[in-house]
Amino acid sequence: MIELQDALRKKEIWAIGGGKGGIGKSLITGNIGITLARLRKKVLLVDADLGGANLHTTLGIGVPEMTLSDFLNRRVENIQEVIIKTSIPNLSLISGAQDFLDAANPNFSQKARLLRHLETLDADYILLDLGAGTSFNILDFFLFSDHGILVVLPEPTAIENAYRFIKSAFYRRFKKVVAQQNIKDLIDAAMDQKNNMGIRTPYDLIERVKTMEREVGEILELEVAKFRPKLVVNQVRTKTDIQIGFSMKSACQKYFGIHLEYLGYVEYDDCVWQSIRSKRPLTIEYPYSRPSRCIERIVHNLLRKEQLVASMLY
Amino acid sequence: MFKKIEDLNFYELLEISPRASAQEIHRAYERVRRVYDPNSIALYSLFTPEETAAIHQRIEEAYRTLLYEDNRRKYDEELRNSGEMQAPPVQQQRSLRTQASPAGPSLSSPGSSRTRDMPQPAADPVPQEIPAPAPFNSDFTGPAIKLLREQRNLTLRQVSDITKIGLRYLELIEEEQFQKLPARAYLRGFLMQYAKILGYDPERVAGDYLKRYEASMNQPKK
Repeated sequence: MIELQDALRKKEIWAIGGGKGGIGKSLITGNIGITLARLRKKVLLVDADLGGANLHTTLGIGVPEMTLSDFLNRRVENIQEVIIKTSIPNLSLISGAQDFLDAANPNFSQKARLLRHLETLDADYILLDLGAGTSFNILDFFLFSDHGILVVLPEPTAIENAYRFIKSAFYRRFKKVVAQQNIKDLIDAAMDQKNNMGIRTPYDLIERVKTMEREVGEILELEVAKFRPKLVVNQVRTKTDIQIGFSMKSACQKYFGIHLEYLGYVEYDDCVWQSIRSKRPLTIEYPYSRPSRCIERIVHNLLRKEQLVASMLY
Repeated sequence: MFKKIEDLNFYELLEISPRASAQEIHRAYERVRRVYDPNSIALYSLFTPEETAAIHQRIEEAYRTLLYEDNRRKYDEELRNSGEMQAPPVQQQRSLRTQASPAGPSLSSPGSSRTRDMPQPAADPVPQEIPAPAPFNSDFTGPAIKLLREQRNLTLRQVSDITKIGLRYLELIEEEQFQKLPARAYLRGFLMQYAKILGYDPERVAGDYLKRYEASMNQPKK
C-alpha cells in the first residue's frame, strides 16, 4: 500500500539556472533542498553543472567517489549507485562530473538516459543545479523541468545574461515545436539581435512566422503563454534591488510576452560567505539569519505556487 | 493574444483592471513609473533609451487620461468602439470607482487584463483631446487652485483619496485660511502633491501659494 502511494506521489523537477556564473545557483539550490528536506519531503539534488560541479561543497560534503560522469559514461548501469546520502535526513545528492573531458558535453542519448532514469527515482522533489551559460545542455534541462528558476544578481551583467537565457530557452523551445525547416532557420536567424530582417522582439518573430504559416505562429503564441520561468534575485542590499525583480517581470511581460514569476529574493549578508568558508550549509549553520528566512519564503512560494506582489514594497 | 508595448491600452500599460478606482490608478502609476525608471538596470538591455522615454511618456498620458472622469469616460468609449473593452460599466460602478476601494482586487493579479481575448486595437488608441492642463499664467492662489480643480471635474474627496491629504486641509488651502493651516514645511508638501494631481509644476504652485501665505502670516507682527 505504501509503495502504491509512493508511486502515485507526484514528483516535481525544478531546475535552477541563470546564465551567469557565480551568482549563487548552487548555494540557492542546496539550501532550497535542505529547507524542503526539513519539511519532510524526499529531496534529490542533482549537480547538472557538468563542467564545474560544486554543489557538494555547499552541502559540506567532500569530493564524492561516485559522480554523474560514472553514470553518463556507463561505468555504472543504475543511477541509484551514484546517489549519495547526506547527513541531512531525506536529502540525497548526485554529485557533478569531476572528469575534464567528454562528460561536460553529454550527447543527446546520454541526456535522454539521465532524464529517463531521474523520472523513475523515488523522490518528491528533484532539484537540478545547472551550470552557467546558455549551452543546449543547460537549456534542455531547464526546459525539461516542471519549474525553471532563474537566479540573478542586482547587477547589469547578471541581468543581461538572464534575459539572454530566457530568450535562448524559449527560442529553443520554439524550435522543438516546429517541424518546418524554413521556420527553424528563421528562428535561428532571429536569435541574432542584429539580424537584417527587422525581427527584434519575439513579437516580431511570431508575426513573421504567422505570415509564413499562420497555424505555426499560433502554436508559438501558445508556447509563449505556457513558458513561465521563475525569478530569484540574490544578494539584495536595498529596496531598489528588490524592485529590480518587479521591473524584470514587467519588462519580460511587455517585451517578450512571457510571464516571469517573481518568487523571491535573498538578502545580502556576511553569514553567507562565512558559511561557504566553513563549508557548512547556510540554512544549517545560520538557520535564523535573514538569507535563510528568505530561502524559506522562496520555498513557501514555490510550494504554494505563489509569487511576490509589488504592493508589499510600498 | 500578445501585444506590442505600443499597442497596449492604458489599463494594460498600468497593469490594472478597467474598473480600477482613482486610488488604484494613482498607485499603479507610481509603481509602473518606478518599474520603468530610466536608470533601472533591468531595462537597458531590452529597451533603447528612446524606447524607455516613449514608454514613460505613454505612462504619463495613461495616468492623465484615466485620472479624470471625463477623459476616462471618453477613452473607455473609444476602447469599446474599437472592440477592446466589453460591456459598458454599470453606472454605479462608475461612481464607486472614484472612491477609495477596500483592499479588494490586487493590482498585480497576474495578467488579469490580458486573459480576455482581444482583437487588435485601432491604430491610434490615444484620445483626440490630450488632457494636458491648460496653461495658467496668473498666481496660484487658493481660489485659483479651486477653480482649476473644478475645471478638471475633481472633487475634494477624490483629491484627498489620491493624495492622502486630509479633506479639511484641502479645504483650508483653497479657502486660504492661513492661520489654521499646518506648519510651512507640511503645507509645502501638501501643495506640491496637490499640484501634481492637477498637472501643474509643483514648485511654481507651492512658490506662489507660500508667498501669499508668508505675507499674510507676517503681517500681524509688523
